[in-house]
Amino acid sequence: MELIAFTIAFAVAYQALKGYRLSKERTLLYLHFSFVLLGAGLLVDALSGIIVLISHFLRGLLFLYSLGYTINFIAQLVAYGILVVAYLQQTRNVPVQLAAAAPIASILFFERNAFTELILIFLLVYITAQMVINYSINKSTNALLVFGAFASLALAHLFFLMFILIPVFFPLAHIAQLFGFLLLLAMLLRVNQAL
Amino acid sequence: MISSEARPVTRPAAKYRSQLRIYLDIMHVIQRESNEAKPTRILYGANLSHDRLVKYLEELKTLGVIQERGTDDKIYSLTQKGVEFLNNFRKVESFASAFGFKI
Repeated sequence: MELIAFTIAFAVAYQALKGYRLSKERTLLYLHFSFVLLGAGLLVDALSGIIVLISHFLRGLLFLYSLGYTINFIAQLVAYGILVVAYLQQTRNVPVQLAAAAPIASILFFERNAFTELILIFLLVYITAQMVINYSINKSTNALLVFGAFASLALAHLFFLMFILIPVFFPLAHIAQLFGFLLLLAMLLRVNQAL
Repeated sequence: MISSEARPVTRPAAKYRSQLRIYLDIMHVIQRESNEAKPTRILYGANLSHDRLVKYLEELKTLGVIQERGTDDKIYSLTQKGVEFLNNFRKVESFASAFGFKI
């Protein structure tokens, strides 16, 4: 599932880069970096999970699982942080350097926990709220798809948070995450098929 | 009196138009005029002064996105490169707008 999401994230990043090259609009560059980081985080998480599975949970390699999650968490934190700063910049003049201050990177690897998930939920709720405002202004299907995508990603992290208490939420979280990226793919296809 | 066809390209009140936005406005007007626009139409449609229009038309010709026909009665049309640029830019605008970003 993560590998599909990674591919879609890179496709969005590529489209944003193409847009930046054509328009020189800086917000598209932020969008590009944001999705490159999201994709890279998902790839590292997926690969670390696959390696741990292939090695049949060898004790020496179990740290890879935590390493994968840590890298994915930091990548998501910076990626969503960049998006939040990009939206803040549209309304107020917040320097983009703040994006670098957004992540509070730890030098220790950590497992999935309530604190990291809550941070990601907080960022995603802010981005989703921006998407609601955008949809209420635009009323376009593409804006609705992007809103749905970020709402699904927020829901996925809510499920990851609940998984800490109830294991059944783990597959639901992955399904919600994949659904979010599939909505982004639908938006990309619509944009490229228009005209 | 400006006819409905030659009405200025409408957008939310903006104090400053980037060079790219002016290029696009000119190209939009040419495309709207069935790809054969006289300078007066472009001048009204893109909301430019005569001097600035001449300057931008020259720049667009140099970029190879528009071409000029005629000597006295000049007519401007988009080249294949111009049509492709405009189509690609619309896709970028649609993509950015889906994320709530304005170009």
